[in-house]
Amino acid sequence: MMLISIGDRVEEGLYRFHSRFNRAVNFTQGDHLVSVVAEEIGDGPRNIVIRDLNTGQTQKPLEISAGKVVFEDGEFPFADRHRYCSTLECETGASPRFSDNLSLFGELLRTMSHPKSLAFLLDDQRIRNFHSGFERAFAEQVKRSVNQIFHGDRLNGVRSLSGCGIGLTPSGDDFIAGLLIGLNLRGEGFRGLVNQVFAAAQTKNIFSSSFLDLARQGLLFGRMKDLILALLQGGQEAVRNSAGKLFAVGGSSGADLGTGFLMTMRHEVRVS
Amino acid sequence: MNVVGQVRKGAYFDSVTLMRVGKEIAGLPGVTDAAVVMGTKSNKAILKSSGLLPPTFNDASDTDLLVAVKANTETAAGTALAAVDGLLKKRTSPATMGGESHPVSLGGALEALPGANLALISIAGRFAGEEAMRALENGLHVMLFSDNVPLEEEIALKKFARKRGLLVMGPDCGTAIINGVPLGFANAVNRGNIGIVAAAGTGLQEVSCVISNEGAGISQAIGTGGRDVKREVGGIMFLEGLTALAKDKATKVILLVSKPPHGQVLSRIARAIKRIHKPVVTIFIGAEAKAGGPSTLDEAALMAVALARGKKTEDVAKELVARDAEILRIARREAGKRKKRQQYVRGLFSGGTFCAEAQILFNNRLSNVYSNAPAGRAKQLKDSLKSQKNTLVDLGEDEFTVGRPHPMIDYSLRNRRILEETADAETAVILLDVVLGYGANPDPSAELSGVIRQASRTVSVVCSITGTDRDPQNRSRVEVALRKAGALVMPSNAAACKLACRIIQFLGRK
Repeated sequence: MMLISIGDRVEEGLYRFHSRFNRAVNFTQGDHLVSVVAEEIGDGPRNIVIRDLNTGQTQKPLEISAGKVVFEDGEFPFADRHRYCSTLECETGASPRFSDNLSLFGELLRTMSHPKSLAFLLDDQRIRNFHSGFERAFAEQVKRSVNQIFHGDRLNGVRSLSGCGIGLTPSGDDFIAGLLIGLNLRGEGFRGLVNQVFAAAQTKNIFSSSFLDLARQGLLFGRMKDLILALLQGGQEAVRNSAGKLFAVGGSSGADLGTGFLMTMRHEVRVS
Repeated sequence: MNVVGQVRKGAYFDSVTLMRVGKEIAGLPGVTDAAVVMGTKSNKAILKSSGLLPPTFNDASDTDLLVAVKANTETAAGTALAAVDGLLKKRTSPATMGGESHPVSLGGALEALPGANLALISIAGRFAGEEAMRALENGLHVMLFSDNVPLEEEIALKKFARKRGLLVMGPDCGTAIINGVPLGFANAVNRGNIGIVAAAGTGLQEVSCVISNEGAGISQAIGTGGRDVKREVGGIMFLEGLTALAKDKATKVILLVSKPPHGQVLSRIARAIKRIHKPVVTIFIGAEAKAGGPSTLDEAALMAVALARGKKTEDVAKELVARDAEILRIARREAGKRKKRQQYVRGLFSGGTFCAEAQILFNNRLSNVYSNAPAGRAKQLKDSLKSQKNTLVDLGEDEFTVGRPHPMIDYSLRNRRILEETADAETAVILLDVVLGYGANPDPSAELSGVIRQASRTVSVVCSITGTDRDPQNRSRVEVALRKAGALVMPSNAAACKLACRIIQFLGRK
């Protein structure tokens, strides 16, 4: 095993074991969640990426000190060059490339994303992928909530979307994270709104709350950062590649996040 | 209706697992609806509205996992709930889910898709051999798309694979169709009972498309890479592929496609064919056709179709004679439109096999044939960028592709050349191949129509389309667009070459 990168928001300290997935082991310290992940999961503000990760069996704590990670009895030294930078300073402005790429991203969401992702909000035909009674009720609630977010009582919409749907981080939370990332990207003028949305989306699910908190601060996972960079500066191929990688996150999480982001960038969200 | 549920306190599973388990429970006998979700307030509201909220869920919190099942009978509901433990423990293979997996190593890929039995390798040639050997050691067949793999590595890989009963398709293998899955530059063809082994990439595409467009289909199409039939490699994989198809129950007819193999290799192939009790059609482009055997790719494909349908191959010859008569008629008409000085053909090919086939067909009919990749009696072009008399250029040669995409993908170089050749007062015919399928240019009509429209005002533009209506580009749609732009679209490369040739012959008689 070899350390590939460590997120810029991973702080020194002792973290308690929380949970273990196929390609990730999660640790907590207070409200902070730090994950040791395989390369396939990729960079994140609070991810430690390990090549050939063996997720182990024990529940030993994770120890992070200056220049060293201790995980499952293995010591992984790191230097500044291993730090993943999760911030992005840029302006979307009125760039025609960004606008064209955003349209392409919408098309990719409609055609390439998980059938049960929230991309049905962009294409009514996709509602056919929701078969069972639960799924149909879920889709209806999402539609109502998102409509409220963009055309009605925004915070009420966020509240009813929060915690809604399948997945460890429910689809609704992923969408809200995309909304927060989009609002952050739209500029300082939206800071107040970002905080209001975040407050309305509060949850006790540590995965969701940690994810939303990072989005609130404009801190990005590698795949989302790559997508935004591709939208701003890349060609169609770059957008396709980064979108494909985003859609591979979780079951439908990446696509749900992307849908929230796209709708936020497209809608003229009012600050007040 | 029976609704039951389970609350799993503080149980965490990744999203992919939760979606898989939800789907699997819903598919169990007697289950009419199911949901596996976190116990958030919103989810409880949705469960309630869809009639899936048992009273036990009321106290669940955001961090609890809820499993709800609605079933026709109490027993079915109970059985479904009892299955949850096992389903949650089962390891999820990301590749079996709707999401795409992006492993970064062969090990990661195998973990994501444990049942895989083939690795497609497309990395820089100097690293590809090592990766291919790793795949073989893991029991995987290999398709090696990469070129520039050292010859000695190719030989070592193929010998190792043969011992293990595995295939190494390549290096420089651009196309294959395995169990109906197109790999590399391949077309969406019908499945059927004709198996192909080919050491010529576009040759494989051409025969598989002709077969499919005739309504027949492909069982397997195994590429070997062009170097396989050279003396050094000895046809190891060509022979292994042939043996595999001989054993394959779904294959009734075998079609072999290659440029002429080395003499020793050819003898081995001939011996192997004798041992096979299935009809075998061979087309070695440039080698002397045996009596009654095919002399072009399309003829070989049509013969394979005839054999697969239990018909005589002689009928194919009759069919082609009728087509040649039509070609003659069109050629006479086109020659009538050309001016006195217009006397040469300029073939601009994206497929190397097509360029070779054109040269072979031209050799018997025209003099003064030049190419940057000469075959048969064609002479070497002094400068690949400047045509001499009748010129056939393979634009897929390294001299044109270093640092730029293959001409099947990027048409810009060829489009420029079409206009340059049109401006030459001696050009009478522009001959083109248009290759469709996965990996090829997604919209050839849009790319080509403009230049064809311009060129066809002064020269005859003759082209073939290699593809099917099921290809992403749709063959019929492309054909209509190119005809509309002024091209003479022929059903195969051989037919297009014959038409081009006939036009030049008529002009010579003028």
